[in-house]
Amino acid sequence: MNDPNRSRVLTLTLDGLEVPFSEGETLLDVAKRVGVTIPTLCHDPRLEPAGVCRTCLVEVEGWRRLAPSCATQATAGMRVTTDSARVERHRKGLLGLYATDHPGDRAAAERRGPDELLAMIDRYGARDEALGALSSLRAGRPKDANPYIDFDPEACILCERCVRYCDEVEAVSAITLAGRGARTTISTADGIGLLDSSCELCGGCVDTCPTGAMAEKLPLTRGLRAERELAKVRTTCNFCGVGCQLDLNVDPGGRDGRGQVVKVTSPAPGTTTNDGNLCVKGRFAYDFLHHADRLTAPLVRGADGQLYPTTWDDALSRAAQGLLGVKERHGADALGFVSSSRCTVEENYLVQKLARAVFGTNNVHQCAAT
Amino acid sequence: MAGLVTTFGAGAMTNSIGEIREADCLFVIGSNTTEAHPIIAMEMKRAVRRGATLIVADPRAIWLSSIATRHLQLRPGTDVWLLNAMAHVIVTEGLWDRAFVETHVEGFEDVAAAVAAYTPEEAERVTGVAAEDIRWAARTYAQTPKAGIYYTLGITEHSHGTDNVYALANLVLMTGHLGRASAGMNPLRGQNNVQGANDAGASPIFLPGYQRVDDPEARARYERAWGVPLSPTPGMNLNVMMKRVGSDIRGLFVMGEDIVMSEPNVARLEEGLNRVEFLVVQDIFLNETARFADVILPAAAFAEKDGTFTNSERRVQLVRKAVEPPGEARADWEILVELARRSGGAWALSSAAEVYDEMAKDVPRFAGLSHARLAREGGLQWPCPTPTHPGTRFLHEGRILRGKGLMVPVAYRQSLELADELYPLVLSTGRTLYHYNAATQTRRESGLAAKQQEAWVELHPADAKRRGIGDGDQVEVRTRRGAVTVRAVWSRQVRRGAIWMPFHFAEARANLLTNDAGDPVTQTAEYKVCAADVRRLDAPPSPSFLPGSFYRDRDPEG
Ligand code: SF4
Ligand code: SF4
Ligand code: FES
Repeated sequence: MNDPNRSRVLTLTLDGLEVPFSEGETLLDVAKRVGVTIPTLCHDPRLEPAGVCRTCLVEVEGWRRLAPSCATQATAGMRVTTDSARVERHRKGLLGLYATDHPGDRAAAERRGPDELLAMIDRYGARDEALGALSSLRAGRPKDANPYIDFDPEACILCERCVRYCDEVEAVSAITLAGRGARTTISTADGIGLLDSSCELCGGCVDTCPTGAMAEKLPLTRGLRAERELAKVRTTCNFCGVGCQLDLNVDPGGRDGRGQVVKVTSPAPGTTTNDGNLCVKGRFAYDFLHHADRLTAPLVRGADGQLYPTTWDDALSRAAQGLLGVKERHGADALGFVSSSRCTVEENYLVQKLARAVFGTNNVHQCAAT
Repeated sequence: MAGLVTTFGAGAMTNSIGEIREADCLFVIGSNTTEAHPIIAMEMKRAVRRGATLIVADPRAIWLSSIATRHLQLRPGTDVWLLNAMAHVIVTEGLWDRAFVETHVEGFEDVAAAVAAYTPEEAERVTGVAAEDIRWAARTYAQTPKAGIYYTLGITEHSHGTDNVYALANLVLMTGHLGRASAGMNPLRGQNNVQGANDAGASPIFLPGYQRVDDPEARARYERAWGVPLSPTPGMNLNVMMKRVGSDIRGLFVMGEDIVMSEPNVARLEEGLNRVEFLVVQDIFLNETARFADVILPAAAFAEKDGTFTNSERRVQLVRKAVEPPGEARADWEILVELARRSGGAWALSSAAEVYDEMAKDVPRFAGLSHARLAREGGLQWPCPTPTHPGTRFLHEGRILRGKGLMVPVAYRQSLELADELYPLVLSTGRTLYHYNAATQTRRESGLAAKQQEAWVELHPADAKRRGIGDGDQVEVRTRRGAVTVRAVWSRQVRRGAIWMPFHFAEARANLLTNDAGDPVTQTAEYKVCAADVRRLDAPPSPSFLPGSFYRDRDPEG
C-alpha cells in the first residue's frame, strides 16, 4: 500500500479531456469507461486483444501511425483523439473495403443474426459502389451435419473472434484458421464436421461473431423472423445450478398468439454472472417447450386403469380427496410430498406449506437434495 | 448440505462464481465440471490460463484433468483417505493457520489427532495416489491464500458423503481459507434450483431459511404466520420416503420429478408405487412415474411462468413468463394454491411475487429481496436482510456464520458394496453435458440426441478385452439389483476395474443398478460406488454412435 506508484493517479488526455486510468487498461477500456464510443469488430472483452481488424484505430499525439485502441496500453500523459478527420477517413475507407467482400442482401443477412459490420457500414455510408463486389474464395463446410451451427464464408471477415473464443474461453480449439491468402477460412482440423470434432456446441462462436458468418442453424432452416422483430425476455436457465441469465427470443404471434420461443441469446458480456456465455443446453435446448408431447390437460385414471382427460375442477377435487382420504385412513405421516429442484423457489415454498400447514406432515423433500 | 450447515452454519457456496477467475489455487474434487457446470468450468479454464494451479481429484480422467497441474486419480470411494492424508501433511508440516484456528475454529485438536495415522504412504496404498502428489497437493493448497475447493455429487453421493464434506471442511478450517474472495468451499448444485428449494424449506427438518421444525421458537413463528398447529416431528427424507413407499407411505404427491428415473434401486421403488393408495403427479411431460399415477396435473415450463431460481452461488434470479403454456397447463404455483384451497387451506395468494414476499418476511436472510427489486437490480445473493443491503458476495467475512467453525474428525469407512468375485467391477454413475437428469427435456431435442443418442457404459480397454468386448458392442451391465443393456465404449477415462455410466436414459436406467443404501446422516444413496459386471451381448456393434467423444479411447494400443 505504501508503493508510491500505486497511489499516484495516472491520467491521459482523451478527445481533449483529462481522464484517470489504471495500470493495465487499454485505450479502448478507458474510452468505454468514460463513455466515448470507438467502433470495434475483432474486439470482445472476454478475449485477449488481437488488433487485427483495424476499425478501432485512434490518433496518438507524436505517433506516426494510427494505433489500435483495443490493443494499445494506456500510458500516462498520452494525448489521444478518437474522432479526428484522419481517423474518420481511415475508418470509412476500411469499411468500404470490408463492404466489397460482404454480402449486401440485408434481409438475408438479418436472418443470420445481428450484423454489426453492416450496421457500421451504413452508419459511415461506407459502401462504395465503384469498388464493386468480390466473391470470396473462402471455403465453407456445407456438409457439416452438426445440428446447431452454420458457417457462411461469404460473410466472414476473418476477425477470428470465433476461433479465439473457442481457444480462450471454451478452450476446446475445435475451429481454426485454415488455408492461405485469399482462401483463408474458418474450419476444423481436416475439415471434419463439428459433431466429430472436439466442439461442445456451446454456440459461443455464433454469439461473438460480428457479421453473422457464424449463425444458428435452427432459426435459419425454419425461416423465422429477423432477431430485431422478436421480443426478448430475460430469464434464468432451467438446467443446471450455474443459473445463467438468458434472453428468450419470442415470436409473439407464434403458436396462434400464445407466443413461441424461436431462439435463445445471451446477455452482453460483463453484464451477468455468465459473462455472455452459455452452454449447449442453455443456448440450444428450447424445443422441448413447444414439443407435441407436452401435457395439455389434466388426466385421471379410470376404473379400467386407463388415463382420461378431465377438467381442472374434477382433477383438483380428486387429488384433494385422494390425499385427504389417505390422511383419514392412516394419519398425516402416511403422506409424502416430493418437491422439485427444477421448480421455482415460490413453488417449493408452497409444497412444504401444503405438506405442513394443510396436511400436517413434515414428510416433504425436494428430489436431488444435494 | 447437512455437513456444511454443521461445520460453517450455512449450506451453500461460500464464494461467487465470478471469484473463480481470480483464484490462485483450485482444488476440484468429485466434480466433472465441464459436463455438469459448463459455465463454471469456463471460469476455471480462465483461471488456469491466468496461471492458477489446478488440482483435480477424480477417479476418472475428465476434461479438466487434461489441463490440471496434477490429477490425483484416486480409487472410487477413497476420498476420506486422500483428504485426511492431506490434513496429516498440513498438520505435521505446520502449514496450518494458528491465528485463524485459535479465533475461529473448534475441534482442531481432535482432528489433528485423528489424522495422525493417515500418512501419505499409507494413503498411497489405499487411494492409489502417489504419496508425493498428496504432499504436493496439501502444501500447494495450504500455502496459497486464494485457494478454493469445488465439489459436487462425486463427493456427496456416497454412503460416506457427509464424512467427505467434513474432511474437506477440515482442510478449509485448518488453513483459514475462508471468508475472503476466491477462498472457500463451494458445493456446485446439480439442478437449477437445488439451492432455492433448500432455502424455501422443501426439507423434512427445515422450515424456510433453515429454521428447524423441532425448534419450538421457529415452529411458533410459523404457527402464527400460517394460523395452524404444526407437527414437531421431523419428517422422512427422500431416501427413506422412497424406501417406505407402499408401506408407511400410502399417499404421494410428486411435483416436477421423475422418481422412477432418478431414485436408486428403482425396481424396489416401482413395487412400492404399485401398492400406494393414491399418487398425484404434476409435470410438464407424461413421465415414467406417471405410469403409476391416479391424477396427473399438467404444469407450465419455466418459460411459461413467473418466479425465482436460486443458483449455486446463492443468487436469487427472476424467472419470467415469456409465452403461454400449451393447452390447459398451468403454473405449478397456481395449481398448488388451488389444491390447498380444496384441501382445507385458505390461501390468499394471487401471484408468484406475493408468494416470495410471504416467504421472505419470516426469513431474515431473504428479507431484503422481492420480485420488484430483482427486476430492478438483477439477481442478488443472500444474505440480503434489508431492501438496501447489496447482497453478499462471499460468506463468513470476519466471522463464521456458525460462530466458530466446527472441525469434525472422520474415519475412513469402506463403501457399502465392494467389488467381489461375482461382481468384479466398480460402477459409478454421473451426468453428461448433452443431457439433463431424466432427459425428459433434452432427449426431445433432436440436436442434443445427435451427439449422444443412446446409453453407454465406459470401460477400460483392458477390462473390455478380457471379456471379449469391442468398442461399440452391445453389452449387459449387471449388479445385485438389476441389469441394463447399453453400448460399450472403450475409454481411457476410467481406471482398470472401474466402469462408468450416464444416468439419463429411460431404456437403460442406471438406477436399476445403483445401491439405495445411504449415508447415515443425509441418507443420500451411494450412486457413485457399487459392484457390477459387464458381458457382451450378441448384437451388431455400432462403433460410430458417440461422435466426437472426449472419452472414447481411439487408439487403445497407443
Ligand atoms: S460451438 Fe463452442 S466449441 Fe463449438 S466451435 Fe463454436 S465456440 Fe468452439
Ligand atoms: S446455460 Fe448451461 S451452464 Fe448455464 S445454467 Fe444453463 S445448463 Fe447451466
Ligand atoms: S477492434 Fe481493435 S483492431 Fe479490431
